[in-house]
Amino acid sequence: MTITKNQNGSQLDMALEGRLDTATAPQLEAELKQSMDGVTELTLDFAGLEYLSSAGLRVLLSAQKVMNQQGSMVIKNVNETIMEIFDVTGFADILTIE
Amino acid sequence: MKKKNRRLAVVMVASIVALIVILSVIVAVTGYQQFTHVLERQYNDTAYEVAETALTYLNPDKLEGYLQSGQTDEEYDAILARLDELVVSSNCNFIYVAKIDETDYMTTTYIYDSVNPATGFDRYEFGYVSRDTDPKYVDDLKHILTTGGRAEKYLYSYTESGAHTTAGLAVQDSSGRVVAVIGVEKSMTVLYGARSTYVRWVATIAVTMVVLTLLVYLLWLNRKVIRPIAEITGEARRFANDGENPVTSLKATQNRYEIGVLASSILKMEAEIKRYIDNLTAVTAEKERIGAELDIATHIQSSMLPCIFPAFPDRPEVDIYASMTPAKEVGGDFYDFFMVDDTHLAIVMADVSGKGVPAALFMVIGKTLIKDHTTPGRDLGEVFMEVNKLLCEGNGEELFITAFEGVLDLKTGQFNFVNAGHEMPFIRRKGKYTPEKIRAGFVLAGMETTRYRMGSLQMEPGDAIFQYTDGVTEATNADNELYGMERLEAVLNQNADAAPDALLTAVKADIDAFVGDAPQFDDITMLCLEFKEMMR
Repeated sequence: MTITKNQNGSQLDMALEGRLDTATAPQLEAELKQSMDGVTELTLDFAGLEYLSSAGLRVLLSAQKVMNQQGSMVIKNVNETIMEIFDVTGFADILTIE
Repeated sequence: MKKKNRRLAVVMVASIVALIVILSVIVAVTGYQQFTHVLERQYNDTAYEVAETALTYLNPDKLEGYLQSGQTDEEYDAILARLDELVVSSNCNFIYVAKIDETDYMTTTYIYDSVNPATGFDRYEFGYVSRDTDPKYVDDLKHILTTGGRAEKYLYSYTESGAHTTAGLAVQDSSGRVVAVIGVEKSMTVLYGARSTYVRWVATIAVTMVVLTLLVYLLWLNRKVIRPIAEITGEARRFANDGENPVTSLKATQNRYEIGVLASSILKMEAEIKRYIDNLTAVTAEKERIGAELDIATHIQSSMLPCIFPAFPDRPEVDIYASMTPAKEVGGDFYDFFMVDDTHLAIVMADVSGKGVPAALFMVIGKTLIKDHTTPGRDLGEVFMEVNKLLCEGNGEELFITAFEGVLDLKTGQFNFVNAGHEMPFIRRKGKYTPEKIRAGFVLAGMETTRYRMGSLQMEPGDAIFQYTDGVTEATNADNELYGMERLEAVLNQNADAAPDALLTAVKADIDAFVGDAPQFDDITMLCLEFKEMMR
């Protein structure tokens, strides 16, 4: 998985490419942990994301919980397969998806 | 290794011998040349002194007169007698005075010629003319006659009669004109003997030096190089072979040269290697212990899932079968089924996010909580809300569980269910499996405030429910394709009439065929409940 980060003050954009699964979720978790301090607007771009597993969902949930405390988190460009996962798991209700 | 050390010594000794021999030869040759040069010079100087002395005896003004008249006088005889005395007393070979023809410097007319009787030669009488002057003397004669000085070069010759040197001086009359040359030839007989003595001495000293130097050098080499290196290589070989008991001291560490450093390094290295091996052994043992405990954990986990089939042999109303294939040693998936009371059968299918031991521990808590809270007559939405709250407490790892629970009333066929973010089940009605689109709540342990609502559907005898985890639909082949809902639905319907255990075996075989050799990262868990008849 490739993560492209773009930080602008308290604004953090992250574009994910590839598969977010058990093998790559720790990578995203580490990246987020490293850059989330002081961020009030977190945007995750899922345009290049092909697959999302429960390990990936866990990282998203953690990030959402942190952002609930310090600002807002938006996920954009979610494809149909992943949207289905969000719907089935109920994540669609707790995430802000554009 | 010992053999190589010896070779090293041979090379070192040979190079030293060669060096000393070359040095000796250079010293000897230089000394020989210097010795010869000094001695020749000495002899030549003596010859010149004799020539100077002889010159004072002469009366140069008369010489040309003698030659012109062809007559000598009494003074001539007296001078010749004195020269004869001089040639003997000065131990010279010849003293001669001669007129040189200045046209070609090759014709010599002798005026005086004194010969040392010891040489065995006869003198050239007055007026004797020689025309065979050695060409190599011509330049010197010319120099003497035109400048009135000494010969520029030393005149030496080495003939069979022995080595000799010649002094040549101009004879000038009272007006300063050069009228003749005087030559003195002195034998250098002592030179040979002295020189060979010198060479013998140099050779003797050189050989003695070589032998003494070699002895001292070999002793030193043996003590300071060969023996320490042999000790170090011996120890290194021993340690390399058994890797045990590193030594704590080597004599070679006292060596003042690099060998001492080498020895110290070997000691240090052995100790380090030993420590490393011990450490590695301990770590490996620890790893084996953890591995064994993980085996036990896997065993405990799998034994926590109901695995005795048929599960309810005295219940003709239902047939149930379930299986879990963990991807890692301990998985995060679990299933469960149990009788809530005499007429209600509960099934649970769940997937903990993440893998390994943390997921397995969380799974145990989740499974226990769900079973504990599923009490007769209780609303399933309430059950999940309660379980969710309990799971949210102290969930530092931020794991969560997707879970599906259903309770079948065996008397009525009513199937109540609750879904916390889990996959939708397949229901077989009239011999055909279709995915049942049911509302999903949020995952368990995600948000403390999540509300869950119970759903309900009616099952008729002959219907069945198939529930699974995402390990099934997200099994991946080598081309990164997912197994997917369509393939699952297809294989279910190909085996629509099969009993639960046969169905699960068929699905698993289909997944295996699809995946091939591609590695799997998720547990594959499935459950099938067939409602055969109403309870009477």
